[in-house]
Amino acid sequence: MAILISFDIDGTLEFGDPPGGITLEMVKRAQDLGFLIGSCSDRFPSAQKSLWEARDIQVDFVAAKHMLPDIRQRFEADIYVHIGDRDLDRQLAEQAGFQFLWDHEGEAEPWLEWVK
Amino acid sequence: MPKQSPIPDELDKPFYDACNEERLVVQYCPACSRYQFPPRNACGGCLNPGIQWKQVSGRGRIQSRVVVYDTPVSVLIPDQPFNVATIALEEEPEIIMLSHLPGTPVEQVPIGAQVEVIFETTPATGQKIPEWRVVS
Amino acid sequence: MASHPMTPNSWHRNREGLGIWHGRGKVAATGVGTSPTARRWDEKPETSMGALTLIAIRKAIEDAGISPSEIDGIVITPESTTGVSNDPNTPPPEGWDQVFKMVDYPQAGITRGDIDWILVNMPELTNVQFKMEGRGCMSVSFTTAAEAVARGLTHTCLVIRGWHNLAGRYYVGQGAAAGDTLAGPQKYAGLWGAPACAGTAMIFEEYCNKYGKNHDMMAPFIVEQRKNGLMNPDGFYSQHRPEMITVEDYLSGRWIAKPANIYDNDLPIQAALAVIMTTAERAKNHRPKPAYVLTHAQTRPESQGVTPTLESWERLSDKMGRMLFEGAGIGPDDLDFENMYDGFTLFHQFHLEGLRFGANGEKGRGYALDLYQEDISITGPNPVSPSGGNNGNGRTRFWNHRDSILQVQGRSPSQISKPANIGVSGSHMPHMCDSLIWSSSPD
Repeated sequence: MAILISFDIDGTLEFGDPPGGITLEMVKRAQDLGFLIGSCSDRFPSAQKSLWEARDIQVDFVAAKHMLPDIRQRFEADIYVHIGDRDLDRQLAEQAGFQFLWDHEGEAEPWLEWVK
Repeated sequence: MPKQSPIPDELDKPFYDACNEERLVVQYCPACSRYQFPPRNACGGCLNPGIQWKQVSGRGRIQSRVVVYDTPVSVLIPDQPFNVATIALEEEPEIIMLSHLPGTPVEQVPIGAQVEVIFETTPATGQKIPEWRVVS
Repeated sequence: MASHPMTPNSWHRNREGLGIWHGRGKVAATGVGTSPTARRWDEKPETSMGALTLIAIRKAIEDAGISPSEIDGIVITPESTTGVSNDPNTPPPEGWDQVFKMVDYPQAGITRGDIDWILVNMPELTNVQFKMEGRGCMSVSFTTAAEAVARGLTHTCLVIRGWHNLAGRYYVGQGAAAGDTLAGPQKYAGLWGAPACAGTAMIFEEYCNKYGKNHDMMAPFIVEQRKNGLMNPDGFYSQHRPEMITVEDYLSGRWIAKPANIYDNDLPIQAALAVIMTTAERAKNHRPKPAYVLTHAQTRPESQGVTPTLESWERLSDKMGRMLFEGAGIGPDDLDFENMYDGFTLFHQFHLEGLRFGANGEKGRGYALDLYQEDISITGPNPVSPSGGNNGNGRTRFWNHRDSILQVQGRSPSQISKPANIGVSGSHMPHMCDSLIWSSSPD
């Protein structure tokens, strides 16, 4: 089963500003399971790429958060998930056909159950 | 679109009472023939404290618009994106009111078009407020 | 709450026909101190807005090369955000009283700038006699201090502004925006849920329709702002997010209130600035070159409605230009640079056109976005916003003033290539602005 997870950065990831609860370990675990991962955030795409590279993570995509529909079009997956910390993140995710998880819900790594 | 309910105060009670009667009133200074809204204790032009409330036609013109994609107001988030337009009153184009332009799709706002006031009931208290729709 | 007198109304130069300013060339800014920046407060006393303010003050005094005891005046802008503040009675966080002495007002140094709090926490300021509040904007504090020095009420005056940014979103879904009712004056517009940039965006839209321009034409200005801001080692972006924005980034930015996108909005931060203003005579003994004040001016809203109109923005920014030129005894072509406010970016051109900056004496309204397509860099003939403004440094409303001082002193990190003899800075909106003309010479 192909799963794509898009992470918001600020307020969601541990290296965001403010820091969120999703750790790099969680991201790496998802990547090790073969998930497509990347970020859709209000940071410039080039800045998002630098943030990941600085942490030695090769992501599949970076995009502005309102470009979630474009990510869905570019990548074939069975489940599309966006994790964020704002009502707006939820709205953009749902409008783009993504499941939405709040940052604190993501901390429990529910996708580990999905692949069992 | 369900909006927050305004809580009237002493200064603007006549405005909101009139809204509940589906009449649009704004302040008017008889000394310098100047309209103003939002209300103040005196005329913003000549400082005359003898300001009055005067019913206006409820007609106006769409002056400009934005499409809101990221509102700070929680109750409006589910309705994003939505129009917010500036409405210039027929009696005094420098009097600007805001509108969601119910019935007008985003990106299809006819700048300069005539609009007429309608009154919308806000859910929390039932207070009516002015809204505007394009005159077809 | 302890408070000090506000700027007397008679000090504001808010109408035409006042002639040359009585203090022209007799007042100068010298020392400049800027605190480190942060995106939000982490609730530690040592990173609070107040702590940053004390850092900025000490740096300004050191920069001026004077003794703290020489300071005999303080003008402060007490408001330290346009976003969310704590309730005034909220007690300080744990440990606060072990780092700072307290005053009666519990939010002093946290969400409000306070002269008495500064004085009890800076015992080295032993000689402060003149105390005044320049309310609402640091621009008002600058013009207030200029008047106070010119009137002989203080000879060495600190001008101070701190900015706080609490945890959470600036005002999205907080406070009044979170409830199902709305009270107070904000209800007249707030019910429609327009974000703060929407009023500007609506007038920008009108401007574009009137003059045949479009939002894409803003891109060169946005890019230049960030480029200039990244040269400033004290700015938020250079310190924390040193990434350059591209035209493509800007044009693909998420809409907030179309035609305003996310990059037309400035990023709230924590920071503080302090500047020493003094007499032209004393300035000669300060370490930096004097940045002389040639005049100042003020506009205030004349609006009759819920939001201002395009006409009122054009009318009042035109008036600002005329008042400044009259008070300083100069003309538009004498300006070597302009550092007018940019938060939101979409109104900067109103200020610029009101000053006829880069108009070569011949252009009327509607030319600024065309000017943006020309060379507006610090090396070009018309340096637009060399400070980088809020957009290039984070939201403070003071980078523009700071840079104008540094430019005419010849030491800006984004120093313009041509001689910076005369420049202008002012904040904030086109219909509600306080501005100053700065000069490298008192004459």
